[in-house]
Amino acid sequence: MPVLRFRPWRLEALTGLGLAELRETLFRLKCETEEAEGFVEVEINADRPDMFIGEGLARAVRGLLGEEGWRAPETERSGLRIIVEEVPTRPYIVGAVIYGVNIDSEDYLAELIQFQEKLHEGLGRRRKKAAIGFHDLSKLPSKEIRYTIASVEREFLPLGERRRARVREVLEGTEKGALYGGIARLGDMHPIIEAGGEIIAVPPVLNSDITKIEVGTRDMFVDVTATSLETASVILDIIVSNLVERGGHVGKVEISGVEYPLLEEKIMRVRKEEVLGPIGIELPLEETSKILRRMRYNVEPVGEELLVRVPPFRVDVFKPIDLAEDIAIYIGYEDLGPERPVRLYALRGSHDRLSSLARRVRSLLIGLGFTEIMQLSLTSPALLEALGLKELAVEVLNPVQVEYSVLRPNIVSTMLKALSEASHAAKPVKVFEIGPVAYRAGKVVDEEHLAMAIMDEEVSYEHIQAPLYSLLKAIGAEFSVRSSASSLTINGRTAEVLVKGMPVGFLGEVKPEVLSSVGLEYPVAVAELNLSFLSSLLS
Amino acid sequence: MKERGFTSGSLSQASSLLGLDRSRLASTFMLLKEKGILEVSESVTKRPRLTERGKEALARGLPEEMLVELLGEKGEVGLAELPAILGREASVAVGQARRKGLVAVEGGRVKLLIPKEEAMRRASVLRKALEECSEGKFPAKELYEEAKSRGLVEETEERELLVRVTRDLEEVMREARVEVSRLTSAMLRSGSWRQYVFRSYDVTAEPPLVLPARAHFLAEFIEQLRDVFKEMGFREVRGSVVELELFNFDLLFQAQDHPAREIHDSLWVKGEPADLSEYGELVERVAEIHERSWKYKWDPKVAARLVLRSQTTAVSARMLITRPKPPMRIFTIGRVYRRDAVDATHLPEFHQLDGIEGYPGYTFRELLGTLKDVFERLGLEVKFKPAYFPFTEPSVEGYVKLPSGRWLELFGAGLFRPEVLEMAGVDYPVGAWGFGIERLAAATYGIADIRVLYTSDVDFIRKFRARR
Repeated sequence: MPVLRFRPWRLEALTGLGLAELRETLFRLKCETEEAEGFVEVEINADRPDMFIGEGLARAVRGLLGEEGWRAPETERSGLRIIVEEVPTRPYIVGAVIYGVNIDSEDYLAELIQFQEKLHEGLGRRRKKAAIGFHDLSKLPSKEIRYTIASVEREFLPLGERRRARVREVLEGTEKGALYGGIARLGDMHPIIEAGGEIIAVPPVLNSDITKIEVGTRDMFVDVTATSLETASVILDIIVSNLVERGGHVGKVEISGVEYPLLEEKIMRVRKEEVLGPIGIELPLEETSKILRRMRYNVEPVGEELLVRVPPFRVDVFKPIDLAEDIAIYIGYEDLGPERPVRLYALRGSHDRLSSLARRVRSLLIGLGFTEIMQLSLTSPALLEALGLKELAVEVLNPVQVEYSVLRPNIVSTMLKALSEASHAAKPVKVFEIGPVAYRAGKVVDEEHLAMAIMDEEVSYEHIQAPLYSLLKAIGAEFSVRSSASSLTINGRTAEVLVKGMPVGFLGEVKPEVLSSVGLEYPVAVAELNLSFLSSLLS
Repeated sequence: MKERGFTSGSLSQASSLLGLDRSRLASTFMLLKEKGILEVSESVTKRPRLTERGKEALARGLPEEMLVELLGEKGEVGLAELPAILGREASVAVGQARRKGLVAVEGGRVKLLIPKEEAMRRASVLRKALEECSEGKFPAKELYEEAKSRGLVEETEERELLVRVTRDLEEVMREARVEVSRLTSAMLRSGSWRQYVFRSYDVTAEPPLVLPARAHFLAEFIEQLRDVFKEMGFREVRGSVVELELFNFDLLFQAQDHPAREIHDSLWVKGEPADLSEYGELVERVAEIHERSWKYKWDPKVAARLVLRSQTTAVSARMLITRPKPPMRIFTIGRVYRRDAVDATHLPEFHQLDGIEGYPGYTFRELLGTLKDVFERLGLEVKFKPAYFPFTEPSVEGYVKLPSGRWLELFGAGLFRPEVLEMAGVDYPVGAWGFGIERLAAATYGIADIRVLYTSDVDFIRKFRARR
């Protein structure tokens, strides 16, 4: 969940609340706050990017305090025009001018940059889907802006630099280039935005220094490049509607015959029941529309229905249920009052067959003197290699730790490792485990298995055979065994267990070479059953 | 005693009856008396007994008899000659014979007063009495007194133990036991256990350490959850740990280009994508709704990739496409996998519980009601907070109050978004939730390091003391 830092004075000025009241009000808006080093840290849910900056956060807070609806900003034509050429890797660009942003402090500037970064992270999908450029309007070399793809050999003045550099150098030689340089590059070409023959941005990587915003910047030009026109436009709406809250107005930019920002309200016509029913509450129509207005929607009753105009910055609102959630949030989840779904209590519950078998097996094995252990099903390739099971391994593509980078193909493998770590335990050590395994048999197969083991000064086949037989008889499995072979167990002391003629597991004394390969100094006898399969055979 | 029918009598009688040595028997009787089985009393019997002098008189005759015999032969004898003939008894003989009127002394000479036969008869009366005394009988009183006064007899007292059985011996036999340390099967089979009592132990002494074979405490916790949900009317289902992205993400309305689906969060399976052909119609609906809602080109190849399921909501998604008949309640418990390095609060895999429920008319408040009930049944207070998840609306995050008083952020929940239901083809509202089990289990058991749940220390599990 995104965490944003704000200066307390900014939030206090924007909401008129003290920090304690602010914290309480924000909690009602799903936001948790913490104070840290002169900042208020606010955890904001990813579905509310409109609250990623002080003005937007305050707009929501003031709604809970009674301020209603949302007023679209005043607009005029800016005279700016973006000519869009074919950019195959990132076809879309939108832009807008905001007059009167008035960057009057370092604190606000820092918030703007944070806003941009958080939008990049979420809606922008780490700039892959969309990226934002902020420019000082007064520094734009020309009102005619061109979005095109150009040679990476072209030079520009990278943001924060004093020296011009080739685009290639930025893509290949900087941190930002390493992170984002591959997103839109096409061979030796890369998208650029230029004005008056100068590159003002290399999206989605870096802007030029010549249009840099700074304390003192009054009016801004914002561009959004993207792989989806709708996403680009939505992000632009969120930015514009927040920046304009500082008292300014919007300048339209013409792009391929369309004027941006669109700032279009979504119109929803809903019946009261559609927004109250899913929550399970009843309210008068007037109360319902008041709540929605305080959640900053524009609402007009039309007969028995509500005409709801959703502000353009609310990217998370698609359906009546989204309005319902806002009503529930306004009332407060604790105040809604949980209600027992009486109808559902008439249902008769049941346990899954396999889970029930596992429970019976557990109780029987405890009766037979075995203690249950639980091990991770992720294990190390080295263990499977040592046990000769590597062929079966299901490997993880992107492990964090190599010790947990393959799934165990049977439980005995991780059980032997556990026993090697438990060699000091009081003998005899009798253990079992029930859990998942996965292996390759053409495709990936995963099953629930049972394994049991005995470790002692001396252990024989019979020591594991007797309790296994006892278990199988007790669960009503008509079984037989036949001599078999395994990479883990001694030849002539290994058997396969069959139920209804189908192999369901094995038992045997573990080979001394296997024991020593996992560092075991006590003999061990093991058995393993495929509980998933056994469960289906017992039906 | 029981067998020989002894109920009362003296020690001597008992000794001869039982064929046991008197002294051993006497001490046994005293023991039995202490146990309240017998009454023991002492009788004192008086008997005459001959003195040495009496014995001599009985053997040789009384001095006066010897004097009468002498006078019968010689007619008369001078007093001075008598000691030479009768020894030291001479004067006694003369004294007694005169007292009894048998002889007279005249002029220093002793002579019979009556005929010898008559004198002998009278003199021997006392000897007959001595004979009786030697047999332990009292003779006539004046004779006994005479013999006593003459030092021929003395009186003795004979003491004897008298025993009377006061309890039912059958019963006593049942109670009387020899001490043994163990009861054996042989004792039970022979019935000999009746003779024994068991030696007392120091029952407060420390026993040797034994450890129970037992279920893993995490498994016990999971079983408890399964029971709670079954009791509430939920049907349990299971799914695969290796899952298609289609169910882990796409059906849950997570856009393919969304950062949450990026390689940093989930674990993918190496190898070829799976085949989606069996989900033909579903795939079409998913494609259409994703493209309409998220404005991007949906790629079936991405949906076909195999992932280690990152949430058991994938199982709920699979249940949704079966369009369960309402009203319905379904839950699942299973392992999920995340791209996390192992530390005290993270594991790359853990268990999750997911539940779904719904019917036409189901509401968000009812979802909150179910969740409140679930955690109340686990003894936990619950608190709700608005949240955001891509596949639910409204969404809620739940906190539970731990026994320590701390609030633990535990679950995510919400009503499935209309887009999710539309993809699955479900036409009634469905509430859903999921939570990680390990965090709750660790917190309830007071375990600070979550790795302990997957310990290989078998003795730790065997000794585990639940702090619930």
